[in-house]
Amino acid sequence: MFDETIARRVRPLAEAFRDAALVRLTVHEDDFELEFRRAASPVAAAPAPDVAAEPAAAPSSAPEVLTSDVVGVVRFMRPPAVEGQRLEGDRDLAFVETLGIRNPVRSHGSGTLAAVFVTDGQPVEYGQPLFAIER
Amino acid sequence: MFKKVLIANRGEIALRINRAAHELGVQTVAIFSEADRQSQHVRFADEAYCVGPGPVVRSYLNIPNIISAALISGADAIHPGYGFLAENARFAEIARDHGLVFIGPTPSVISSMGDKATARRLMAEAGVPTTPGSDIVASVDDARAVIEKIGYPVLLKATAGGGGKGMRAVYEAGELETAFATAQAEAEASFKDGRMYVEKLIIEPRHIEVQVLGDEHGNIVHLGERDCSIQKPSHQKLIEEAPAPALPDGVRASLHATAIAACRAVNYTNAGTLEFLVSGEQVYFMEMNTRIQVEHPVTEMVYGVDLVKEQIRIAAGEPLTVTQAELHPNGHAIEVRVNAEDPEQNFAPAAGTLGRVEFPGGPGVRVDTHVYGGATIPPYYDSMIAKIIAHGATREAAIARMERALSETRIEGVKTTIDFCRDVLRDPAFRAAGVGVEWLKTDFMPGHHALSA
Repeated sequence: MFDETIARRVRPLAEAFRDAALVRLTVHEDDFELEFRRAASPVAAAPAPDVAAEPAAAPSSAPEVLTSDVVGVVRFMRPPAVEGQRLEGDRDLAFVETLGIRNPVRSHGSGTLAAVFVTDGQPVEYGQPLFAIER
Repeated sequence: MFKKVLIANRGEIALRINRAAHELGVQTVAIFSEADRQSQHVRFADEAYCVGPGPVVRSYLNIPNIISAALISGADAIHPGYGFLAENARFAEIARDHGLVFIGPTPSVISSMGDKATARRLMAEAGVPTTPGSDIVASVDDARAVIEKIGYPVLLKATAGGGGKGMRAVYEAGELETAFATAQAEAEASFKDGRMYVEKLIIEPRHIEVQVLGDEHGNIVHLGERDCSIQKPSHQKLIEEAPAPALPDGVRASLHATAIAACRAVNYTNAGTLEFLVSGEQVYFMEMNTRIQVEHPVTEMVYGVDLVKEQIRIAAGEPLTVTQAELHPNGHAIEVRVNAEDPEQNFAPAAGTLGRVEFPGGPGVRVDTHVYGGATIPPYYDSMIAKIIAHGATREAAIARMERALSETRIEGVKTTIDFCRDVLRDPAFRAAGVGVEWLKTDFMPGHHALSA
């Protein structure tokens, strides 16, 4: 249901998305889901205001976001995968180092690397988005 | 002094530690589960790391993620609060091995005193009277063999237990099997440690505990006692007070002396509490909590000492700021635990979103809480949402002040223990002082149910 209430919730989000230099913003709630994507990102998307007008219509193939299972420091594999790169099979993209243990971050299948949310050597928390893969 | 302390806890105690650290000029790092993202303990910390999803085993008990958060944030110490990993010697050891100071006793003291069966043996050796009971019982059959010697009723207790979790009173043989299984399962779920022991249940005892502080320079002091006899049927404390009322001076002095002797016997450092059952003139050592306790504010109000700051200073190698000669109780303090529970449904916990929230103020009233209007109470954690503490020149004045404070308190959206506790405060037996740990269940609640029905 796209009613007045939702419109009131969407507008500030759309403005925040436009003003901050965000590439992608996803909001999940019980009864609705909303995603903004910057047209300039590797994933072609409609401009933010248009997306804002259609909160329920999530793209049919939303990229899968890989998040960190642990708290630690992310280290990219060499050579590091870059945005827009085609990934074949189940590939190691990085590992998150926790107390000397390397926790691999795998692509879990083929796809295109749509976004890299972190930099090499960055501390990450549980649930932090690391990569997005377009299947 | 430390530059930065990681607080490995949530809720009001995380906020309490955050306040103490900030007042000492120490930066803070919060950890939180996905269910606590909006919590005040996250908001007031200088930085914060999500360490896992809602269930405690994957977040607040997730040792690798917590230690990792301490390391990547550059913290030099970890304060464990109470519950969760506060009495986990392995956690203290892992922290130390990674160059972090654990704000608590040494790992070896935690494992000997925090492990309740070992503590009882050590205390018995040091001449401290203990209740008849067992070492660790591996199975329900072992428990049965012990009970044949000491007789019913008994308490089954988890060696890692606390807050009434992993504990069951058993009055006859037919109840044993179920009670053992449920207590052990609860201990496994809450502490990742299902080891159990058996203790003789002393009839109508009072729960009286002594607060101690020890530094790394050999100074040990006690800060008097607390009476925590007002307990729910699950043995979780509901109302605590300091000093213990209607206690013969000889018993009081003996409790204090015993606590100091016990600490000296193990070279105890940091804050700790020795819990005793007191029945007439008889005193039995029950267990030692090697951590700060929920009810520490009543002691703080009466002695004017900030126990959490002392903990941090002690861990940083500083001497105690007070000597025994300087410690004198002033007046009386009472704490009421405000739990999101329904007292009419055997204190069934309630989760949900709070509506309007108003806490009391005014002279002699302290509120330790992490909730606010509109806050969510996640289903994963302890149901305590606030502690209200009232101080007065006498016990009567403290009770009157607490009644006034509770009358100002409004919490909408969930059932709470506020009205129930007000009724307890008005009860003539409570006013007369000195009731035992079973009083609430066996004397107060039946009449209370009849009245409110």
